[in-house]
Amino acid sequence: MNIQLKNENFILHSTGAVFWEKQKTVIISDVHLGKVTHFRKHGIAIPQNAVSENFRKITAVLDHFLPEKIIFLGDLFHSTKNAEWNLFEEWLSNHKQETYLITGNHDIIDESHYKKIGVIVTEILEIDAFFFTHHPTEKEDLFNFSGHIHPGIVLRGLGLQTLKLRCFFCKPNQIILPAFGEFTGKYFLKPSSEDTVYAIAGNDVIQINKE
Amino acid sequence: MNREQLFTIASDWFESQGWKPFPFQTQTWTAFLQGKNGLLNAPTGSGKTYALWLPIILNYIKENPNYKTKHNSGLKAIWITPLRSLSVEIKQAAERVLTDLDIPMTVGIRSGDTSASERAKQKGKMPDLLITTPESLQLLLASKGYAATFKNCSSIVIDEWHELLGTKRGVQVELALSRLKTIAKNIRIWGISATIGNLQQAQEVLLGVDSQAYHNSVLIKAVINKKIKVVSIIPEKMDAYPWRGHMGLHLIDEAAKIIKASKTTLIFTNVRSACEIWYQRLLEKYPEFAGEMAMHHGSIDRETRLWVENAIRNEELKVVVCTSSLDLGVDFAPVESIIQVGGPKGVARFMQRAGRSGHQPGKESVIYFLATHAIELIEASALKKAVENSVIEDRVPYLNSWDVLVQYLNTLAVSDGFYPNEIFKEIQGTFSYQTITAENWNWILNFITQGSQSLHAYDEFKKVEIDENGCYKINSRMIAMHHRMQIGTIVGDAVMNVKFMSGGYIGTIEEWFISKLKPGDTFIFAGKKLELFRIRNMQVLVKKASPKKESKIASWMGGRLALSSQMSELLRQELYRANTDNLSPELKALQPLFKRQRKESIVPSSDEFLIETFKTREGFHAIFYPFEGRFVHEALASLLAFRISLLQSITFSLAYNDYGFELLSDQEIDIEAVLDNNLFSTEYVHHDLQKSLNSTEMARRKFRDIAVISGLVFTGFPGKMVKTKHLQSGSQLLFEVFRDFEPDNLLLHQAYRETFEHQLEEGRLILALERIASQKIVWKQCLKPTPFSFPIITDRLREKLSSETLAERIQKMTASYMK
Repeated sequence: MNIQLKNENFILHSTGAVFWEKQKTVIISDVHLGKVTHFRKHGIAIPQNAVSENFRKITAVLDHFLPEKIIFLGDLFHSTKNAEWNLFEEWLSNHKQETYLITGNHDIIDESHYKKIGVIVTEILEIDAFFFTHHPTEKEDLFNFSGHIHPGIVLRGLGLQTLKLRCFFCKPNQIILPAFGEFTGKYFLKPSSEDTVYAIAGNDVIQINKE
Repeated sequence: MNREQLFTIASDWFESQGWKPFPFQTQTWTAFLQGKNGLLNAPTGSGKTYALWLPIILNYIKENPNYKTKHNSGLKAIWITPLRSLSVEIKQAAERVLTDLDIPMTVGIRSGDTSASERAKQKGKMPDLLITTPESLQLLLASKGYAATFKNCSSIVIDEWHELLGTKRGVQVELALSRLKTIAKNIRIWGISATIGNLQQAQEVLLGVDSQAYHNSVLIKAVINKKIKVVSIIPEKMDAYPWRGHMGLHLIDEAAKIIKASKTTLIFTNVRSACEIWYQRLLEKYPEFAGEMAMHHGSIDRETRLWVENAIRNEELKVVVCTSSLDLGVDFAPVESIIQVGGPKGVARFMQRAGRSGHQPGKESVIYFLATHAIELIEASALKKAVENSVIEDRVPYLNSWDVLVQYLNTLAVSDGFYPNEIFKEIQGTFSYQTITAENWNWILNFITQGSQSLHAYDEFKKVEIDENGCYKINSRMIAMHHRMQIGTIVGDAVMNVKFMSGGYIGTIEEWFISKLKPGDTFIFAGKKLELFRIRNMQVLVKKASPKKESKIASWMGGRLALSSQMSELLRQELYRANTDNLSPELKALQPLFKRQRKESIVPSSDEFLIETFKTREGFHAIFYPFEGRFVHEALASLLAFRISLLQSITFSLAYNDYGFELLSDQEIDIEAVLDNNLFSTEYVHHDLQKSLNSTEMARRKFRDIAVISGLVFTGFPGKMVKTKHLQSGSQLLFEVFRDFEPDNLLLHQAYRETFEHQLEEGRLILALERIASQKIVWKQCLKPTPFSFPIITDRLREKLSSETLAERIQKMTASYMK
């Protein structure tokens, strides 16, 4: 789905990624890599295959948009370094894009490890009229991209129908991205009249009707 | 000492109490002393406790002739009770005999309520007689050197076995027994059960299929003829009777009359929140009861519960509002009347409750049935028939509960480790796992050692490790600790402790309820108005709230009960009588409601199957009335919705109760097509159900408990929330991950199987469809909701089923915006 923010074109992808056309940049939030491995290390048998799914999805997004830059909006890794780090390192070595990580609350792996594999780590990033953070943040003249809360939306219809979906949550001066990672939950938001919600429905992104 | 001499000791003691042993008691003594195992079928309050305590003690005397001077220490007998609140009562009974006979044996309790220091002391030196719960028994198996503890244990008694039988805690007991049979060579196994439909099977489940223990066992039945009288509370005017279920509070004055007329009354409600509400309202309306009134349910602090139980015994209380927490054990002689609020849904439960009153020999037990809504009165009338004809349900044991097996193997791995060959043989001998295959077993072993995967280079899975001798062990102290914490959570809702800021523990409350409150909000819990101060470290800190403040009443999830097949059969027979002249007092009272029902629709007779359709603001309703009980309706609703969704692209919301089910949609449902296409056919039922299940959520919900029991969902340490946060996840999420990435996972399969066997009851469903096929279908297009439909359409707990695409549905829906 194509949308305009500050007169620039962005594409919302059904994986939860955003593509910024002018800057040829892919923006992804809350992947929570290493979560499955972290659980398994503590004796909780989550299927291992879920690990590779995250990498398969990111690769698919990159193959689709062919970006020059990737911005991870925080919570790239779920916990401390574990075997999935090696997979990430290997995956990254096959991708030549300039890679940024905006640190989030889960990102407790030391910056130096990222530096070694060429990831630029920062708390905040500004490009043109946009700035990127992990936690939703408001600033007067700049438009904010963030993640952290894993937004979801509850829809209602006739016949007592309800649907719960992941979504991109757009406020006048910011957009909150859904969690990209497999095996992550959602937090349900209630929009106000000036907000716009784009829900992820299978392979589509659909703008939600207002009441 | 020979048996005769031993018997004299027992009979003399009975005589000194002014009692005479019942035949079932002496039969049990004999069988026990002959070294037999067995199942004793005796109701609460019949003296069943002494039927087994005495021979245990006599056996000790026999084996230790100089018992008065020399005490032989070590564990000799275990008494398992499903409710820890009963253990004090049992301990007192045992100690009474020991003191009177001057035998220096010790009795100890070990349960979740036992302090850590007491437990440590027991570990050093076990009491001779240990009273404990299934969970605490598992915990004992999880401690190092457990085999030595149990080595000389000569008997184990499973009290209230009928309560455990149809549950996973029952499977826990089966597994523990399979181990004890090996490590305590001379152990006798006895169960005590109230009357259920499948007593013989209960005996087999307890002792093991075709086992030595089973062949050397007896079934002893206490023949006690007790009269039970059922009285429905019917108000003089039926106009005010609500059409849908509330709390039955409209009859509070009638209830008060009964309370005033008897010494002590127990009011049974089906859920804890109803218990809280009844207590509150009674107190508001009848302040004179204050001081003579109490509340008893499972989430209230143990001290308070014990106090209530004692107060009942001492005749200090006029009325106690309670839940199933007072169903079992504890004999309350002073109780004169029982009031059951709302349908008890099962005959066995109802009779057990009725038996709580009139304990004096020869006295009749009286139980008042208070229907919370009009149609429930039919249930009352059916219950009377059931009591008259002693129709009692079966308790269906669980088969192949992989989650419990995983938990058990981890338990053994935490203690001394286990050797698979030895344990596999023991498990095959249990009822639950009698059909386990080598393939299943290997999958389970692989699951606990490698997280159900083949070895991957980058996998760091760690739980059970195999040492060089082939012993399966958990070495990580942290994983061992996690596991021990989880054993108690066989039914798993996250609960939090409620405490006063000034100190003082009040009870436990479910997390989902508290999470809806903000600091400063007030809620009613344990009969007190409390203000939430803050939540910290799994503790809810509260202070007393001003009595004037608006407050919510604490509620608990808990499963909804469904009518058993026996009850639904009786219910139908009762309802069909509504069209005849042969009316019970309940049916007579319902005449005004039947009149309303007949205005737009009909009251079906035995050869009719009723369907009603109408439109309201919420959409298009179609209501079907099989009168088969909630579970069968759940299955029928999803079956029918699925079949209709193949004919037209449509989305349904489904609701059901014990009388019928509803399909609600935003489009009109083509009933002609339902009838023309024979959608009630029994063909492909299993296949269609399975398909429909993908869209409905039943298996997902079953998976919740499975995930907790098998240790996939980590519920965290009390007081250590933060550190374990990275290990927390929802079972819903897990379900999806398993479904997408490991569809052959046995635990996932179990969720589906349990849905079919325990929830949907496929067998009953097919019988229901066959019955419908023999009936004439009567389709009534109504202008507005009928009295029969009302309790169903107002139910908000719903399932969904859709054959429309997500995009199609989203186009028709909106998000609710903040105004």
